[in-house]
Amino acid sequence: MCNACGNPAAPGHWTEAGAATPGDRLRARFHRAALLQAVLRPYGLTAHDGVVVPGIQIGTLAGAQSIVQDLGEVWAEAERLSGQAIDPLDPRYPDD
Amino acid sequence: MTDTRLRLTILGGYLGSGKTTRLRHQLHVGAFGPRVHVVVNEAAEVPADDALLTGAEGMTLLAGGCCCCTGRAELIAALRAICDARSRVAADAPRLERIVLETSGLADPGAIVQAIQTDSVLIHHIVTERTIVAVDSLHALAHLATEPLRRRQTGAADHLILTKSDACDPAALDLLRATLGALNGHATLSAAVRGDTVALPPLAPDTAPAPLPALAEEDRRGPIQPTQLAIPAGLDWSAFTLWLSALLHARGDDLVRVKGVVRTPAGRLLLQTVRKLVQSPEILPKQTRERADDRIVFIGRGYRPDDLGRSLHRFLGLVPLNPDERSSA
Repeated sequence: MCNACGNPAAPGHWTEAGAATPGDRLRARFHRAALLQAVLRPYGLTAHDGVVVPGIQIGTLAGAQSIVQDLGEVWAEAERLSGQAIDPLDPRYPDD
Repeated sequence: MTDTRLRLTILGGYLGSGKTTRLRHQLHVGAFGPRVHVVVNEAAEVPADDALLTGAEGMTLLAGGCCCCTGRAELIAALRAICDARSRVAADAPRLERIVLETSGLADPGAIVQAIQTDSVLIHHIVTERTIVAVDSLHALAHLATEPLRRRQTGAADHLILTKSDACDPAALDLLRATLGALNGHATLSAAVRGDTVALPPLAPDTAPAPLPALAEEDRRGPIQPTQLAIPAGLDWSAFTLWLSALLHARGDDLVRVKGVVRTPAGRLLLQTVRKLVQSPEILPKQTRERADDRIVFIGRGYRPDDLGRSLHRFLGLVPLNPDERSSA
């Protein structure tokens, strides 16, 4: 953990476990951000993970931005920013 | 980097299911290794049993109530004290390697795992390795039919030990095994008599699980049921984690347990969750035959089982968007 900023708050989030080498990890982060962008777009949100800043940046199209540590926190923050519940079992997903 | 955190084994089970007998026997034969600390929780106050100390490096007795609810603060404090003492020993010197926590008969092991994983200190010091639940062969079916807690304990287990199996009629034992298999298909099963492991005869083919009535506490969202999901070959791990983390966020309180093995670029990962919490995935050796790969079991309620698969396929079919396209939405 970094003394100054307290990041990361817990050792390795489980969603980052699928990559073993630093190169794989970096690729996985970019890929994940692009996928997250596709998931959040219908909710009027954007996602960005430029790797320079620790964490994932979530924003609204109106410009509000916030940074979350990991995928575990993304959804609560996305719900707060968009004002609607995000549920993968919402009929909009399974029924298409 | 090797994980130097303490390993925690939770030994749970209903009242009188044979937890202490099993623990005492396992300590006696040294099954937990030489450097183990035992934490025993009793819901009712009972004097410490010195016999337990043989084979263990130390023992802590928590008698201030069940450690998954009223005694939780005491449990956290005790575990922190153990971690603190261990941290004062150099990493290359012989030091404590394992904690075995024997819960009270009224504890939900899932709640304990959750308490440890959400504690900001303990998460750095303790890895929950295994949840073992003792099942009384004689009375478990009756308990399962009436006690929601007994079902939660079964659902939280990685390994189920059928105790007192010698005193149980073989047909009744088969029925119990089939029922446990229906409640928690991913837990391994073994049997023990007076704490000592005995071989289980092969399960008679086509033994049907006993019908379990819906319990009043569970009626609202339907019964807890297991759903198996096949994971397509060449799974996109990132898309899968997006889906599972969103699912746990939205439905974590309904999903008692998710467990399975997933192939990723880093190797085969054993993935398991208890409610909203995911344990750090464990990388498995290249081939073990005991577990089936690319199959995930969801134990929960409050959703249509088919929806899980369809929703996952929607997420796996997503087309990644370039971050630069942000403004063109």
